[in-house]
Amino acid sequence: MSYIDGISMKESKSLDLYDIQGNVCKGYGRYGFPKARYCFLSFQHTHSAREFLALLIEKITTAETWPVSESSDHHRIKPNSTLNLGFTYSGLKKLGLPERSLKGFPVDFTMGMKARSEILGDTGISAPEHWDDIWQQDNVHAWVAINARDQDAIEFEFNALGDLVTQHPDGVRIMSGIKGPNNTILPYQDASAVFENGLPTAKEHFGFTDGIGNPYFEGCGNSMSRLPGRGKLMRDGSWQPLATGEFVLGHVDEAQEYPPAPEPKLLSRNGTYMVYRKLHENVDTFNGYIDNLAKDFDGSRDLLMAKMSGRWPDNGAPLTLAATDEEKETLDAKMASIELRVSEGDKSALIERKELRRQWVDFTFNDDKSGSRCPVGAHIRRTNTRGSLETEHKAFHRPGALVDRRRLMRRGLPYGGIDEAKSDSAEQGIIFMSIGASIERQFEFVQQQWVNYSNDFKLGNDKDPLIGSHDGKLTDKHIIQGCPIKGAKPPFFCTQMPRFVETRGGDYFFIPSISALRMIAEGLIDPS
Amino acid sequence: MSNIAGKAYAMNVITPIPWWKAIWQHAAFKFVVRFPSNLKGLINLSLIHYARWTIIGRNSFPHLAPSQPKEDLHYSYMMFESNFNGSWDQYIDSFSFAIPEGLDLFWRFNIGYPKSIPLHGFYNYIRFNQIETDHFYNAYPCASSNDVKSATHLYDNLKDFTETSLELSDEDFEQAYNALLLDNQQYLGCMEAGPSLSLKEY
Ligand code: HEM
Repeated sequence: MSYIDGISMKESKSLDLYDIQGNVCKGYGRYGFPKARYCFLSFQHTHSAREFLALLIEKITTAETWPVSESSDHHRIKPNSTLNLGFTYSGLKKLGLPERSLKGFPVDFTMGMKARSEILGDTGISAPEHWDDIWQQDNVHAWVAINARDQDAIEFEFNALGDLVTQHPDGVRIMSGIKGPNNTILPYQDASAVFENGLPTAKEHFGFTDGIGNPYFEGCGNSMSRLPGRGKLMRDGSWQPLATGEFVLGHVDEAQEYPPAPEPKLLSRNGTYMVYRKLHENVDTFNGYIDNLAKDFDGSRDLLMAKMSGRWPDNGAPLTLAATDEEKETLDAKMASIELRVSEGDKSALIERKELRRQWVDFTFNDDKSGSRCPVGAHIRRTNTRGSLETEHKAFHRPGALVDRRRLMRRGLPYGGIDEAKSDSAEQGIIFMSIGASIERQFEFVQQQWVNYSNDFKLGNDKDPLIGSHDGKLTDKHIIQGCPIKGAKPPFFCTQMPRFVETRGGDYFFIPSISALRMIAEGLIDPS
Repeated sequence: MSNIAGKAYAMNVITPIPWWKAIWQHAAFKFVVRFPSNLKGLINLSLIHYARWTIIGRNSFPHLAPSQPKEDLHYSYMMFESNFNGSWDQYIDSFSFAIPEGLDLFWRFNIGYPKSIPLHGFYNYIRFNQIETDHFYNAYPCASSNDVKSATHLYDNLKDFTETSLELSDEDFEQAYNALLLDNQQYLGCMEAGPSLSLKEY
């Protein structure tokens, strides 16, 4: 496998994409599935639950590459909906996995998310006792996700799932207890891209553009054109795919070993872990805070928002590309003129657009050590530090040595936003899902050390301005670094930050391979 | 007994090294001290308060009184001490991710050293040879090494400022104050108790 000057070459590593679940390799939102429904199952009798599972497996979407049609537009031939499945530790127990296999699972997963609340900063209003009812019990055993192009397809698949469940009354039930819009309690969690003018957008409810940065790993089946800015940063500034074992078990990881995994190998190989978190957004509080602060801020409201997330809200352009209102205007004008030429059929404009778009993801913070462009504590600079923790050239093995094993494969969608009452208590937020080979090393580390703490950034106990567990204290702050060169602008302080995002539930899930699912369903798992 | 005090973790690791290889190891240390650019990575790992490697010759263990039985040691020993901010895993991970060659340089002659990559061999090696801390006192439990460095910079700069800004006009003061903020913007993180390093349920 090689990558030269942005030209994609063939990747040598091929994974068995028919054995890996589709959500591991594909962000369905990006593939034209803006709607989702997540539901949670509880198993009762092992035998009947396994029978149910055997039938459900047939519906599961794998990571296989969808074929391109032979019609003139070369669109991909996709299913109407997708289905994926994961188990909690107690779910695997209920399905009768042998003790020795169970013992091989890591402590993070066996404990589950609720028991890890101290690590995750799920305290105060985010503490588990405030989560949706479904999480107050300890019998969530499985997660089922349906993604679809429209709501009708969601309902259709959900009904089909319901029928399958009804056929196994002793084996499985769909759990209720999830808070829905307008104070309903539902047996499912709906999620959807935010629609504008009838079309799905990449927006979330605070108004940011989301879903841009995600890791690229070897064998993931994605086009190599997506590699720059998403892989691991090399010394010469190029990007290489991250090792498969960072995201899929049974493959070598960045430490050149197989990630620790339960026996037998067939149980874990091609499987992975997923973090599921329902993150409520206090949209009113957020807007009020920004409106108020914008009055004192030297720049537009959009710039202020960008200085919190690291990307411009309207189109997701990173601050590395445009760090002031003037620079943003120039960038927008450039983009508009390229778009115009594209619409007039100018082929070279297509290339220019691609090149400019590449810079949305292909960047580092090397020329911005002080944070005067993208603040050191901005959300994307915390959660994907790129090469920025290497403060001295060539100090580390690789520029991204401290981040390559802490990358998160995000698979979320917004939810809610349709309540009649428009207040903080309205149901709205993000269903955050993150996939990786180690929950503790990847998600929990990022959440604990980089989101809710700042020692690695030399910013003491400051927290992530968007999602940190703030409480409105004077010290709950975010520093927007000033610029030492241009006009010597002093830093700007966002203080007394309230909690914009609250945790409302979630757990850790094992996402088995198709072969492992078959073995589990047949009761064939045998570690000896 | 705990290895943890406030934001700091104390790690002690003692590993055997053949006495004649200890001489080479000593030379390796000399080399590193002579060319400190080799320590760039270590210094860049800002979670470290300090790290220290010492070779204890097989004949130089303390013999306090004639009544203490004489030991017949086959090996010399290397003693590694470090205080750092974060958990055991975070520290070992950072070491192994960031400066694998450096670690190999420091431990390569030690008995049973597996190399720093793959990671789990290294994990096991350190765990096996680690000596738990009996007593660990931390005068500033809320201060990480970075917090201390920031605070001392800020303190000095603020002190200078108070001395030089007394006589300034309002406009000049505003300008000087903004310049002070700008010069110190990297030292202004707040300081509170650190994130939990262990879980009771473990
Ligand atoms: C309601 C909660 C959240 C909101 C509103 C939010 C918002 C955003 C936005 C606007 C971006 C920039 C767009 C992009 O690069 O895709 C982003 C990126 C990202 N977020 Fe979040 N986020 C949330 C929760 C989280 C959590 C809990 C984590 C992890 C602990 C996280 C990790 C990331 C990562 C890794 C990136 C990509 C950074 C990159 O690769 O450059 N986010 N988020």
